[in-house]
Amino acid sequence: MKRILTAAALLAGAGAAAPLAAQDTRVGVVPGGPHPYFAAWEDAAKDATAQLDLVAEYHVPAAWDLSQQNAMIESLVGQGFNAIAVFPGDASGTNATMSELKDFGIPSVAIGGCLQAPTPAEFCLGTDVYQSAYLGTKELIEAMGGSGNIVHLTGFLVDPNTSLRIDAVQKAADEVDGVEVIQVIADIDAPEPADEKINAFLAARGAEADGMISTAWVPSVVAATALRNLGDKRIRMVAIDHDQVVLDAIRDGFVDGTMLQNPYGQAYIGAYALDLVRGGCTVKPDAPFDTTAQTDMFIDSGTAFVDASAVDTYQDTMIAVTDEIMDGFKDTYMDCPE
Amino acid sequence: MSDQGVTMPRAVLSGLRRHEWLGLAAVLVLGIVAMAATQPAFLSTYNIYIMLTAFSLSVLIALSQMVILAIGQLNLSVGGLGGLAAVIFAGAMDVLGLPVPLAILAGLAVGLLGGLINGIVTWRTGLNAFIVTLATLSIFKGVNIGLTEAQPFYGIAEPVKWFGNARLGALPALLLVSGPVVILTGVILARTMFGRHLLAVGGNQQAAALSGVGVGRIIVLAHVASGGLAAMAGMLAVARLQLGQPTIGDDWLIVSFAAPVIGGAVLAGGHVSVIGTCLGVAIITLINNALVLLRVDPFAVQLLLGFLILFAVGLGRVRSGR
Repeated sequence: MKRILTAAALLAGAGAAAPLAAQDTRVGVVPGGPHPYFAAWEDAAKDATAQLDLVAEYHVPAAWDLSQQNAMIESLVGQGFNAIAVFPGDASGTNATMSELKDFGIPSVAIGGCLQAPTPAEFCLGTDVYQSAYLGTKELIEAMGGSGNIVHLTGFLVDPNTSLRIDAVQKAADEVDGVEVIQVIADIDAPEPADEKINAFLAARGAEADGMISTAWVPSVVAATALRNLGDKRIRMVAIDHDQVVLDAIRDGFVDGTMLQNPYGQAYIGAYALDLVRGGCTVKPDAPFDTTAQTDMFIDSGTAFVDASAVDTYQDTMIAVTDEIMDGFKDTYMDCPE
Repeated sequence: MSDQGVTMPRAVLSGLRRHEWLGLAAVLVLGIVAMAATQPAFLSTYNIYIMLTAFSLSVLIALSQMVILAIGQLNLSVGGLGGLAAVIFAGAMDVLGLPVPLAILAGLAVGLLGGLINGIVTWRTGLNAFIVTLATLSIFKGVNIGLTEAQPFYGIAEPVKWFGNARLGALPALLLVSGPVVILTGVILARTMFGRHLLAVGGNQQAAALSGVGVGRIIVLAHVASGGLAAMAGMLAVARLQLGQPTIGDDWLIVSFAAPVIGGAVLAGGHVSVIGTCLGVAIITLINNALVLLRVDPFAVQLLLGFLILFAVGLGRVRSGR
C-alpha cells in the first residue's frame, strides 16, 4: 500500500516541504461506510467549499470495511486530495494509513470517532458519547417524572463507544433514587434485529418499562416507529440523532426528544482545521483537549437535546453549536505563523 | 401383545427417521414449553405476533438460500439483492410516485434480474457460485448505496405501511405472503419435475446431465427463484419497517445459512427440507426472543446464540436418529 501512496502523493504533489497556499487545500471527507448519520458531512463539505478558501468533498466507501476505506483514501490522494478528515474504519487499523499519509505531508484529523493514541492524526473531533448518553438519560428521567424503569437500546458491542454509553446511562440512573435500568438491548444498529428485539421487549416486558433511551441511530428509528404503531405515549423515550422518523415522532408526542450530535460541525470544522495545518499552523500542545479512552487530544463537537419546541429548528441548533466552536478555534487549538 | 409392544416403538422410530424434521419439531416444542413455563408473557398474543412477524421475514430469506443449497451452491448475495430490491421498491413509491402494484413489480423484477445475472454468470463461466455471488453482493450493495447515498426512502405508501403492521390476533398479515410461498416452494420441490431436477443437479451434476436434465437451465432458474425470494423478503422488510433503509439485508447472511442447515440441508447439494428450514427459522426466532425475555447480558448474547443453535442442531440430529 505504501508504494501506491508514494506514487499517488507524488502525483498529487503533496510531498512539498514548504507550506502551501491555503486555497490549494483539497480535503477528502471520508466516513467509515454508508450511514445516514454522515449525510450532514456532505452538506458541511459543500458549505466549507463555498465559505472557506478550500475544496472539500465527501466520499463514502461502499461498505463498512477497513480495506475499502483505505482503498478510497488512496484513490483520493491519487486524485490530488492533500488532507483527509476520516471517521476511522478501525480505531487502531486506520492509524497505519494515516501514518503513511503523514509521511507524505498529508495531514489528517479523526472526526465522528477517534483513533487510538498514539496517532498521527492532528486531533479527534467528535461527540462526547458518554456525556451525550448521560445527559439524554437525565432528560428521560425528568420526562418520566423522576422515577421508573428504563430500557437502554444501543448499537454494536464491537464499537468501543457502546460500552461508554452503557456506563453513562447506568451512572445517570444510579444517581436518582427509584430509577433502574432494567435491560440493555445491544447489537441492534441494523433494521431487522432492531425490529425483532425491540418489539419482543415491548411485547413481553413493555408494561414494566417507563422509559426508553436509545443511543444508536437505527434503534431510535425502530423504537419510535414501534411506539407510534402501538399508540403508546405512556413509555417516555429519548432518542439520538435526527432521522426524519424520530423528528416526526417528537412532533407527534411519541418521543420526548433526541440527543442531537453535530456531524455537520465535525466535517466543517475538520476541513477548516486541516486547511490551517496546511497553511503552516500547528496544533498547540497545551490546548485544552479533553481525554477519552482512546485519545488525549479530543475536542467535543457538541451535543444538544432537541424536544418538540425546538424540533423544527434543529438545523439551526447544529449550526449554532458549530459557530460556537469555530469562534476562537484557531486561537484555542492552533499555533499559526504571523 | 409383546410383539405389538415392540412393533409400535419401532414404527415410531422409523417414522422419526423418515421425517428428520420431527427431531427439530421436538426441540422447538421443548423450547416453547420451557419459555411458557418460565416467562408468562411469552405466550401473550402480541409476543406471538412479534415472533410470527420475524418468522415471516426470515423464512423467505432462508428459502432464498435453500434453493441454492439444493443445487450444491452457496449464495452470498441474498442480503445484497434483497436490500437492493427493498430500496427499489421503496424508491419507486417515494421518488417516482409509482402505485404500489407497480412498485412491487419493480422490486420483484430487480430480484429476478439479479438472480438471472447470478445464474447466467455462474453457469456460463463455470466459476464457483461462492465467488460469483461474493462479487455480485458488492455490485448489488454498490448500486444500493449509489442510488440511496445511504439515506432511507421515507415516502412509503400507506397501504404498504398498514400491511406491514396489520394482524388478526397473533397472526401478522405478512404471513399472507410468506405462508403461500412456503407451501408453493414445498410443492414445487416435492411434486414437480423442476423440483426433482433441482435436487438431481445438486446430488450429482454429471449424472443429472447424462439423464437429460438441462443443468444450465436448472442452475439459472434456481438463482432466479432465489433472487425472487430475496426480493420478496426485502419488500416485506420495507413494509414492516415503514421505510426503505439502505441497510436492509446487511444482517441476513447468518440466518440464510443457519436455518436451512439446521433444517437438514446438505451443503454439497441434493437434499433440502422446506419443513426443516421452517423449523430452523422458528428455532432461531425462538432463541432470539428468549434472549430478550430472559434479559441475557448483552455481552453474552452472541456467545449464547451460537451455542444454542449448535445445541438445537445436535439435539435435532440425535432425536432423528442421524
